[in-house]
Amino acid sequence: MASTGAVAALQAALAAENAAIFGYGVAGAHLTGSSQAAAEQDWTAHNQARDALAAMISARGAVPAAAQAYYQLPFRVHDAPSAIRLAAYLEDGVTRAYLGLVAVSDQRLRRFGAMAMQDAAQRAASWRGSTQAFPGLTPLVLLALLAP
Amino acid sequence: MLLASAAALPLLLGAAGCRSSDVFTGPDPLAGRPPLGHDVLTLQAVITAEENMIDLYQLAISGDPGTTRAQTLRSLLAQHQQHLVQLKARLIVPPGASASPSPSSASPSPRASTVSITRLRAAERASAADLVRRLATAPPALAQLLASIAASDATHATALGG
Repeated sequence: MASTGAVAALQAALAAENAAIFGYGVAGAHLTGSSQAAAEQDWTAHNQARDALAAMISARGAVPAAAQAYYQLPFRVHDAPSAIRLAAYLEDGVTRAYLGLVAVSDQRLRRFGAMAMQDAAQRAASWRGSTQAFPGLTPLVLLALLAP
Repeated sequence: MLLASAAALPLLLGAAGCRSSDVFTGPDPLAGRPPLGHDVLTLQAVITAEENMIDLYQLAISGDPGTTRAQTLRSLLAQHQQHLVQLKARLIVPPGASASPSPSSASPSPRASTVSITRLRAAERASAADLVRRLATAPPALAQLLASIAASDATHATALGG
């Protein structure tokens, strides 16, 4: 019997992957050339990750949550720069979601989550054009750690 | 009186159904400080590795300070310095214990001219792999911080052309 924490963390990662798949569909429509090719490549990666997560959830005796028909975008996407910002935003969300898997007790899931975080952080850095010190961790969490 | 009490102790324990070895099962208070916890040892090792990485970047920058490459390295160095702040903020060492481990002797200190981008890239990759390896035994919150730093290091390796 799998722990409910592991299944919940897997479902959260699946939800983020589904949102990313939807978002890349929107972003890709506003991109051309190498950017569009990169978006397609990332879209494919998220589809593969979704399938892997769904299989892991099923293997634990749970039902993978279905994707929503529509996702509210964080801002209006109407051109290439906003599409690129959306792609980086989506990857940040995926990185954050996999952070939950790193906290479960199953060591293989921790490693899986950490490696998925690296993939998403790489894609985010590629879209953003810069790296981050703490992919997946919010400034508020970091400030709380530093508080006396 | 004290001697009489000490002599009577085994009798009292026996009457209570206990042996003296059943009573004193905790750590011996006279045996010195208990060993540091695994999470403290993990943090100490990761802090040392982060400090070594910072030294490596500073050497690389000092060998080539005015270039575009140095600007890139400075931005990555700043992120490593942020890693160090967060790691140190989590390190709580018991009074009397050493706050930091002895410097690693695994690799000799390089000179500025020997710190190439290739070497930095390899160090970033090795750091990311080491941090992921440490996740298995880290408490959940520390594991999340280590995984985030590992992801950052992986992006650094790519930024350095890897």
